[in-house]
Amino acid sequence: MKATRKPFSKDILHIENIETVCNEIIAKLKNDVGRKLQRRGAVIGISGGIDSSVCMALSAKAFGPKKVTAIMLPEQDSSDDSRLLAEKLAAKFDVTDTLIEDITKALEGFGCYKRRDDAIGRVITNFDPTVDKAKIEIKQDAASNLPPVFSVTVIKPNGDIVSKLLPVKEYLQIVASTNFKQRSRMSMLYYHAERLHYAVIGTPNKHEVEQGFFVKHGDGGADVMPIGHLYKTQVYQLASYLGVPQDIIDRTPTTDTYTAEQTQEDFFYQMPFEQMDLIWYGWENDYPAVEVANVMNKTTQDIENIYKNFERKRKTTEYLRMRPIF
Amino acid sequence: MQKETDIKTKVKNYIIESTFDDVEKIKDDTLIFEEGILDSMGLLFLIEFLQEEFNLTTNDEELVVENFQSINSILSFIESKM
Repeated sequence: MKATRKPFSKDILHIENIETVCNEIIAKLKNDVGRKLQRRGAVIGISGGIDSSVCMALSAKAFGPKKVTAIMLPEQDSSDDSRLLAEKLAAKFDVTDTLIEDITKALEGFGCYKRRDDAIGRVITNFDPTVDKAKIEIKQDAASNLPPVFSVTVIKPNGDIVSKLLPVKEYLQIVASTNFKQRSRMSMLYYHAERLHYAVIGTPNKHEVEQGFFVKHGDGGADVMPIGHLYKTQVYQLASYLGVPQDIIDRTPTTDTYTAEQTQEDFFYQMPFEQMDLIWYGWENDYPAVEVANVMNKTTQDIENIYKNFERKRKTTEYLRMRPIF
Repeated sequence: MQKETDIKTKVKNYIIESTFDDVEKIKDDTLIFEEGILDSMGLLFLIEFLQEEFNLTTNDEELVVENFQSINSILSFIESKM
């Protein structure tokens, strides 16, 4: 008999049995870390963002707070809020082994800032990295039928904004330079994990994993990814259930990577995550575009274009998820 | 001014060389993004090629599917800018 499936609705991603889902993740974490990986605890990088907060809460429940080491890894472009929120989170879940590892000097050693700023300066000639703020962003609508391309935006101290489409060489250099941040963090997490014989807990959610919004061998480098199968909306649901501090839940997800304020929506996703979650679910589960369009108050053509955009992102980023080929 | 056929050949050769694709796979009206021949990085490299080969700058507002979806569209876009 053909299974009937739920009609598409805005509640379709709501987890009914949140306690069971959390307990299953916790049980799996224990088994993966203790049995499969044979490690005796967890190291996790905490940023004050929702994903790392939920992962830390789950880890504290799985291994006990004494077996969790939470590490803040700020650098010169990180917002001060991130550190304060991360400290609040650790206190909330009784994780006392918390460390602050400022990676600014390591990044200077790699030439991260200089290489990035040189590339920006080639595009926006009056860019002054000592006072200006900069970020890269996708300006196209997700429903556009053309692959997304990035622009660089510079904000002057007087509030003037200059934005230009990024030529390919500069785009690649900016991304390659800023990726030193995630890769340096990964190195530091593994230093502590090896020192303690712990596992590194990766914090990407389902969108980050599947749309390739992570750095290969950076934040994509971890031993276990307990929320890698969860939509962002569901991560928020877990956060509320687990008691993650409200100011972390209320904070707009940012990349905390560039000097200018930058939301994940501007940088990569091109739409609010509440919308993206639902449309991704529709795409992944073969819901006809017309059915999703009716619920989301969009045209069928828009949904079809967004489906194509998802397909393109998954395909383009396949390389990030691939293991070395031999 | 370059002839239309020369421009078309240059664009087509560029796409074939950069994608390692078979020449017969890419027709003048093949939808190069829709069929996955080029992706977002491919679009960026194509914009660079247009700049280097035809001294043609692409603006944000010109980044629409009508200008890039096929070799024919790219040709029209180049001609409109010359």
